[in-house]
Amino acid sequence: MNPTPSAATQEAPAAPAAAPASLRQKSKAALREAGIGVALVCLVAVFALLSPIFLTPGNITNIFTQISINVILAVGMTFVILIGGIDLSVGSVMAFCAVVAGTVLKLEGLDTGLAISLALLASIAVGALCGLANGAVSAYWGIPSFIVTLGMLNIARGAALQWTQARSIYEFPDAFNNFGSATLLGAPAIFLVALALVALGWFVLNRTVFGRLVYAIGNNEEAVRLAGHNVMAYKIAAFVICGAAVGVGAVIYMTRLTIASPISGIGFELNAIAAVIIGGTSLSGGRGSIVGTLLGACIIGVLANGLILIGMSDFLRQMVTGFVIILAVVLDVYRARLTRGAA
Amino acid sequence: MNPPDTLAALELHGLTRRYPGVLALDGVDLTLQRGEVHALAGENGAGKSSLIKILCGADRADGGQMRLFGEPYAPHSPLDAMRAGIRVVHQELHMLDELSVAENLQFEQLPRTRWGLLDRKAMDLRARELLALVGLDDLAPATRVAGLGMAQRQLIEIAKALSSQSRIVIMDEPTATLTPRETDRLLQIIRQLRDGGVTVVFVSHHLQELFEVCDRVTVLRNGRKVATQPMAGTSTDDLVRLMVGRDLAERPPRKAAAPDLQGAPALRVQGLRFRGQRGHAGLDFSLHYGEIVGLAGLVGSGRTETVRAIFGADRPAAGQVFRDERPVPIGGPKDALAEGICLVTENRKDEGLILDMPIRANISLASLGAVSHSGLMRADAEGDASHRMVSKLQIRLASIQQPVRELSGGNQQKVVLGKWLLREPKVLLLDEPTRGVDVGAKAEIHALLERMAADGLAVLVVSSDLRELMSLCDRMLVMSRGVLAGEVARAQFDEEAILALAYQEYTRGTPRARAA
Repeated sequence: MNPTPSAATQEAPAAPAAAPASLRQKSKAALREAGIGVALVCLVAVFALLSPIFLTPGNITNIFTQISINVILAVGMTFVILIGGIDLSVGSVMAFCAVVAGTVLKLEGLDTGLAISLALLASIAVGALCGLANGAVSAYWGIPSFIVTLGMLNIARGAALQWTQARSIYEFPDAFNNFGSATLLGAPAIFLVALALVALGWFVLNRTVFGRLVYAIGNNEEAVRLAGHNVMAYKIAAFVICGAAVGVGAVIYMTRLTIASPISGIGFELNAIAAVIIGGTSLSGGRGSIVGTLLGACIIGVLANGLILIGMSDFLRQMVTGFVIILAVVLDVYRARLTRGAA
Repeated sequence: MNPPDTLAALELHGLTRRYPGVLALDGVDLTLQRGEVHALAGENGAGKSSLIKILCGADRADGGQMRLFGEPYAPHSPLDAMRAGIRVVHQELHMLDELSVAENLQFEQLPRTRWGLLDRKAMDLRARELLALVGLDDLAPATRVAGLGMAQRQLIEIAKALSSQSRIVIMDEPTATLTPRETDRLLQIIRQLRDGGVTVVFVSHHLQELFEVCDRVTVLRNGRKVATQPMAGTSTDDLVRLMVGRDLAERPPRKAAAPDLQGAPALRVQGLRFRGQRGHAGLDFSLHYGEIVGLAGLVGSGRTETVRAIFGADRPAAGQVFRDERPVPIGGPKDALAEGICLVTENRKDEGLILDMPIRANISLASLGAVSHSGLMRADAEGDASHRMVSKLQIRLASIQQPVRELSGGNQQKVVLGKWLLREPKVLLLDEPTRGVDVGAKAEIHALLERMAADGLAVLVVSSDLRELMSLCDRMLVMSRGVLAGEVARAQFDEEAILALAYQEYTRGTPRARAA
């Protein structure tokens, strides 16, 4: 009754003929990002044909400026989604960070540089604390982060409104306000900040033990726990990172608007989630990349900008963005099925 | 032996089911008569579950035919089976917790009013009838299922099987959670069913129940039918002998290991109780360096719970673990790993591996500290460590970058082993380490364990394959219903004796032999 040992176990030397297979693996991961990149290039080509203004340097700078905030938020969101969570509180927390930072900026008797540094630190701290609360409650009690962050969405918004009595804070130092429109080597400074965060996120996810465990937890939490790791701590850390990114995003957004408004950032979480999803990160966690997220944010930005240029109405634009999100997920499911089937 | 065709309710001819590396059913012929209670007996893995799955449409046979009351029968889904009049009372209960008892009883065919709305009156009425059948007269049909205990759920599940026009009812371990009184009631119901012309297939670890209620018994072993015979004239001993198969008791020799029995035991557990354990006695046993000890017993006897409790995968309810006679608190896997204790879990896909991640990441998962420097991964160190394990365990792969999912079952299991061996454990616990592993890899895993034991590793192996334990182990601990029923030294290894120990707590009160 014993079946003969399968052919596969008989052949194939134990010492691996590594090169081709390893290349195949690498190209497989790169293929996903390349696919999103191709979609982006196609979009750009279409808009370039339809609108003479689209590819002008001014418009390109414009697009980069517009997507910067979303890129920053989406980098943090990528960590949370990779561990299998979601953060719906991002927009509200951003407003709360902004009003706290705004208050710090307006403190009397501080040197401008010091005030700006303190404001940035305060904003990051507030964001990280909100993330800590999100992560701790959802990880410790095993409550879906969807629910916890939905609560935080209301708490942070309420806190921002209470803090300012629903008034905006403005008249910040010029040095601060100018940063929002500054350029460096022709690129918007705030986009360079966003790119720096993308690079940092990439490094953490691909080169550190923490990044390895983020992917592992998203794939199989139980196996990671049984390997002796403190899964709860890593899950909380992902939310803290997301919150800290929100803190950075809040200050960058203030430099653009030159005010800190308690009603800013409404719906920003959805844009960030959309960028992550379009970028090929799986909502169930464990699969995806920061580069994909950057490309996803670019696609959303190019769509928004291009559709305006070809004169599409606000309402239709919103619909198109919605279709693109669904299309991205459908493509992802389809691709996952293909690879599973082949394995 | 075969009855006339007019009496046959279900006939199986040459039923075969092949899983990768395993022949679960090997040409089984079986005839169930109308209005009989037929026992299905066999060791773990003998093919009982595979057979039931095929009968109820959850799985499909690779070969052979089935005829139901003379008509060809080939269910494609559980619904097909139900429509054909075959119902299964499952071991694991499938209930809709948030719905009422009445709704659970009838959700496949809820009564409707002529407007198409739910007919609550009819539903309640029918529910009361069904509940009365299983002796749950006191239970209100509107009770939410979530609040009920296991025994009540089991009885409801049985009542559900009675609700449709069932011609064949298959009961897979229905008494596992019942009290003696409820069991008596169930056996009574089974007799009533039989008298009403229904065929009942009955599976139970409790052999005395088989003797009490069954007319005939079919014994499976290694996917083959060994015998079908009348229950009268069969004794418990006969049955155990048939299940074990004395003719197959070949025992491949193993080089005599030299476990260090003089020194302090590598691992000792005292008064260990896992959660949900029956009885009050804790478990006491020890494990020496260089020794391979088997943990035998039936599925559900507490073997898995025991090793998981030692490793801290689930927190034990009570007890103390000693390493080298030092008491060590085990609050979680982290503590166990710090003490050099590793566990290869039963379910490698859900608990042992990260299937979509590369082999290298799986091997390094429990040793990330050793392949990193101040939080940064060292790709070269990780690659070296992975290659070391790959060649030590002879894992067949194309590249360490390959996702583990692409490997065969045996090589996947070797990756799990590699993950732990990289930590150089002192005590290795393994739960069903060769389940779903092809024979070649199985032999390699055995050889590896023997080699490592010879090098001083203390090994505790849980397996449902008694022959595997007999060839591999120096000593065997036998669990029966959450109790350590006995310990057998290698010189005394004997399948019948070990199985008798395994059944010990389940067969209390059974006459050892019946008059022929």
